[in-house]
Amino acid sequence: MSSSRPTRLLRASAGLVLAFLYLPLAALMAFSVNDSAATVWQGFSLRWYRELWQDSSILAATANSLLIALASTLCSTVVGTLAAYALWKQRSRLLLSTVYLSLVTPEVVMGVALLALYQAVFRFLDIRLGMHTVILAHVSFSISYVVLVVLARLRTMDATLEEAAMDLGATELQAFYRVTLPGLAPAIAAAALLAFSISFDDYVITSLVAGVDSETLPMLIYAKARRAISPSVNALCAVIVVVMGSLVLLAQRLQER
Amino acid sequence: MKRRTFFLGLAGLAGCTRQQKPRLNVYIWSEYIAPSTLETFAREFGVHLHHSIYESNEELLAKVFSGNSGWDVVFPSHYFLKPMRQQGLLAPLDAGRLPVLGNLAAELQHPAWDQSLDWGLPYMMGAAGVVHQQSVDAQAQSWDLLWREDMRGKVTMLDDPADTIGAALLKLGMPLNSTHPQALQAAKEALVAQKRLLRAYLNSEARQQLVAGELHASHLWTTTSLLAMDDSDALAYYYPREGFARYADCAVVLKESTRKHLAHEFLNFLLRPEIAAANAEESFTTTANEAARTLLPQELRDSAALYPDAATLARGQWFEAIPPDAQRLRDRIWTEVKAR
Amino acid sequence: MTPAAGGLRALFLAPAWLTMAGLFLLPIAVVLAYSFLTRGAYGGQDLPWTVESYIRMWDPLYLGILARSFLLAGAVTVLCVPLAFPLALFIARSGRHKLLWLNLVMLPFFTSLLVRTYAWMFLLRDTGLVNTLLLKLGVVAAPLPLLYNDGAVIVGLVYSYLPFMVLPIYATLERIDLALLEAAADLGERPWGVTRRVLLPLARPGILAGAVLVFIPSLGSYLTPDLLGGGKSILVGNVIQNQFTTARDWPFGAALAIGLMLLVLLLLRWWEARGGGELG
Repeated sequence: MSSSRPTRLLRASAGLVLAFLYLPLAALMAFSVNDSAATVWQGFSLRWYRELWQDSSILAATANSLLIALASTLCSTVVGTLAAYALWKQRSRLLLSTVYLSLVTPEVVMGVALLALYQAVFRFLDIRLGMHTVILAHVSFSISYVVLVVLARLRTMDATLEEAAMDLGATELQAFYRVTLPGLAPAIAAAALLAFSISFDDYVITSLVAGVDSETLPMLIYAKARRAISPSVNALCAVIVVVMGSLVLLAQRLQER
Repeated sequence: MKRRTFFLGLAGLAGCTRQQKPRLNVYIWSEYIAPSTLETFAREFGVHLHHSIYESNEELLAKVFSGNSGWDVVFPSHYFLKPMRQQGLLAPLDAGRLPVLGNLAAELQHPAWDQSLDWGLPYMMGAAGVVHQQSVDAQAQSWDLLWREDMRGKVTMLDDPADTIGAALLKLGMPLNSTHPQALQAAKEALVAQKRLLRAYLNSEARQQLVAGELHASHLWTTTSLLAMDDSDALAYYYPREGFARYADCAVVLKESTRKHLAHEFLNFLLRPEIAAANAEESFTTTANEAARTLLPQELRDSAALYPDAATLARGQWFEAIPPDAQRLRDRIWTEVKAR
Repeated sequence: MTPAAGGLRALFLAPAWLTMAGLFLLPIAVVLAYSFLTRGAYGGQDLPWTVESYIRMWDPLYLGILARSFLLAGAVTVLCVPLAFPLALFIARSGRHKLLWLNLVMLPFFTSLLVRTYAWMFLLRDTGLVNTLLLKLGVVAAPLPLLYNDGAVIVGLVYSYLPFMVLPIYATLERIDLALLEAAADLGERPWGVTRRVLLPLARPGILAGAVLVFIPSLGSYLTPDLLGGGKSILVGNVIQNQFTTARDWPFGAALAIGLMLLVLLLLRWWEARGGGELG
């Protein structure tokens, strides 16, 4: 078993990379409890958190972002996983090319293209830009990520297992549900996390297809941050990290039971 | 109530909390309106006023371009009125519903871009000049400061083609709105020569770096400069002697709006002197409302940056909507400067 | 694969096809149509049909920008591999804490890209943390110009897209049969040898998938280069974005976008031919 445990070198290098990932966040969090708006430390204070809590636009934007991310993650994970499975069974060059094409499309082009499409559709239907248009847009760009991540996992799996199950009398659906799906769980979880973070994060496409009542957190932060680096935005970020972290840990606890 | 909305939203019930009151959707530059203005209007007219913010004319245009954005009142700069009108995005203003237009500053009563104020109601005026650390050169009066070798790595220009190519043209003694290829070529060379001295092309982000002393001089809008100067006594601001760019942000009613009557009420409300004064005070801007100026606190009313004297104003030039060919050339020049 | 897979496969593919056709192919078709139109006098697009936008693309100015963008995105991708591999390997080996570590990698990415980018501005600026520390320690006499250059852009992009490399590598490594590694170790391979001769080749599909996931968003990015590069350098993403906003030349922007997509597709084909068979 010696080689399957992380060696000291591996631990150290993984630790360094994690430090790289967390260093900027740690700085942000540190300065979110700084008593001064400048980047000079002036003592501990929660004033930016109070300011945050009093800002109704931040609360509304957070609710919008979460709702959009949850809805689009749910859709894209289900649709993407099914598609990846079907592609694993038998390749479809056409769909795979489409998936790759959607990945190579610059965000801004995707945003403008969707906007142009919506505009054309709106000509016939009395609909305005809003939550629905944002959710649809997010589904469209996160599906490809789900397909790729799940497919990468499927390709390392043994296809004969399903065949064996079917030889033993399982239907196609049962073979998928009982044999393949459980083994896919980690990849699906990873894909859903990826889809969620991309959706929660997106600024470029969202800002183009969002309407009056669908302002998201990144849009708000962009508008605020373009003016100045505000400690209340740092505080907001710290809150998100802490809340998400707790949720993620909780989810993991539940899984281990 | 807002917090409850938040939690309901989390529960996926956001749709159920819509107010039944009539509503008005206002899209405006960030930090450009006093919160009290919004609250007072909502209370007085019994409406739900929803507002959100943007940072550039381009952002605004991209947003409302579809004609299905849902916004009622937006605030483009005056030289965007023409393209927006051409795209059929604007509803004509009904002067009959705006009885106090006379409150506007004299030069905005019949501006060149909209002679009888058919399309946009001037809201705030602005300009771009040079803000700098006094210790560097207290006597500086020219664009040349931003081209000086000893400022290497300590200067920024606006990240906006109209403003920055305009500044280069003015520095060379040419009109702000030059469309002649030779003039633009000369401006390009000036900008390319300047680039190795530049720290970056920055808009509002320059403010903090000026306050922190990281920057020596910046090509910046008056409003942003004043916000920086409010935080640092070491800074000073001037309108270069070669000339400077001016603009006016105008309140417009979008053609797609289904609440044009209420939108006009809002515009008229903005014309009230005490409201206009509160907005100008909040945002450190030059109000387009002459009647409001006397209500401002002394230091704003007498600010030479916000309300320059006639001699200074004579050097100011208004931006103009540029014809398509010149626009294309400008864009290519901007790309070329950036690619160097 | 199996002939019986037909019905279920069609059922599973239908929702994906519906989404991709309605929300991707159709909008792209609109962009394609725009790219052959003429720029409207004040933005938008008008008849007549023309290929003018495609001819304008061959300007050395735009080709140069494209080349620079490829170099930058390539550098970002290459830097991501050595950073992601140990982390992915470590996670794959950490037994029942796998998910915990995986989530730790993902956590920073639940925060906004914009805030993360600003965090780097925060660190790298003259009065930022890095320069303050260096000055305090006496390493430098004056603040280093860390911000507003290509280095800052690369760091920002690596930081932004690193998880896209970690996740697929992890997904592949996690499936590797431990017995293989034990066998290698029993045969006297040292850990480094096992990594190089056994793990890396096995992780290849993950690395290639990761490379695609990192390279492509880097190539089309414009927010990070703009903020960390201080608007001083322009990438192909910025040129395209400018056409849709500042320049209001939608047909040219559309043509550039289509051109970029075709180029990336060609690149993927080449990649595939070079042995990245897993790429589709």
